[in-house]
Amino acid sequence: MDVEVDGILVAAHELKAPLAVLRQLALSFDEMDSTNEHIRTEMISVSERAMKQVNDLVKIRRLEDGLFTMEPVAVRAVCDDVMRELYHLFRHNRRDLFVKYSNRSRLVTANKDLLHSVIYNFLLNAMHYSGEDTRAELLVKDYHDTVRVVVRDYGPSLPMDVWREMKRGWIEKPTSIAMRPGSSGLGLFIASRFSRYMNADVGAVRHRDGTSFYVNMPISKQASLFEI
Amino acid sequence: MIFVIDDDITMAECIAKACKKKTRIFANAIDAMEKISNGEIPEIIFLDILLDGPDGFTFLNELISYSDTAKIPIVIVSSLDLSDYDLSVYGVVGVLDKTTMLPKDIANYVEEYCR
Repeated sequence: MDVEVDGILVAAHELKAPLAVLRQLALSFDEMDSTNEHIRTEMISVSERAMKQVNDLVKIRRLEDGLFTMEPVAVRAVCDDVMRELYHLFRHNRRDLFVKYSNRSRLVTANKDLLHSVIYNFLLNAMHYSGEDTRAELLVKDYHDTVRVVVRDYGPSLPMDVWREMKRGWIEKPTSIAMRPGSSGLGLFIASRFSRYMNADVGAVRHRDGTSFYVNMPISKQASLFEI
Repeated sequence: MIFVIDDDITMAECIAKACKKKTRIFANAIDAMEKISNGEIPEIIFLDILLDGPDGFTFLNELISYSDTAKIPIVIVSSLDLSDYDLSVYGVVGVLDKTTMLPKDIANYVEEYCR
């Protein structure tokens, strides 16, 4: 096991326990009055998001063991799940979440949990970097022999060095992203590791008014048989 | 009586509160086993796996080895992923993930197994 990843695993386990306690404490409060209820909701939401990232770090360790099976996955269904999970968070932070599906091929070869995490992390990243009263976009379309899932934000453009890493399809480690303050790039690091495991291409496109992150998922051959 | 065994006392108290019934909290498996040996048989046990001292699996093995405790319903409450394991042989009636469980999940088990 590589030492760096092992360190991540230990840290992940250490972080999970207090986050789980924080969430349970918030849940155990009786419903607060309307002025304070949002604090309780936010405590639950923040701890759940942090735990999801911690769980993703644990999964990175498990990638080495090859425990995640690849199977035909309905990409729109995964996107719908993520949308349901994040819709209220976007609304709460005064961001819109726009979705458009234009892909013909519905099944890709992937691991459902990992694909869910990739899209979830892209969208969280987009929410973080989109300004108030702007929107993030989730687009699913066919792209050559793949299905491309794109998450577009309207925040500051991605720094060139991070873009280069994304172009390579592999972020070596979480790094502080200048111009995108407040992020360690952890979500993108997780997304790139999971994408690589699934033999999917991951990348980013810089815009003058934001960034698009994408993952190209290979179309399932099983799906092709169904569609003939 | 309900037993909650968790070395994280704050988490144990949250679980106990969700039970809405008389509970006894233990920070380790040894104290819980001692109480059971003295004749206090709980209606249900909420059990963490990673404990100080003997872990949850050691406790489960101890329980199923005695006729008077083999049938106590156990709910595992852990942040470990145990989805690949069949724990029913230990009398485990449910597994709750600490990172996603809700108070009503605990209450549901109490309602089902406690008179």
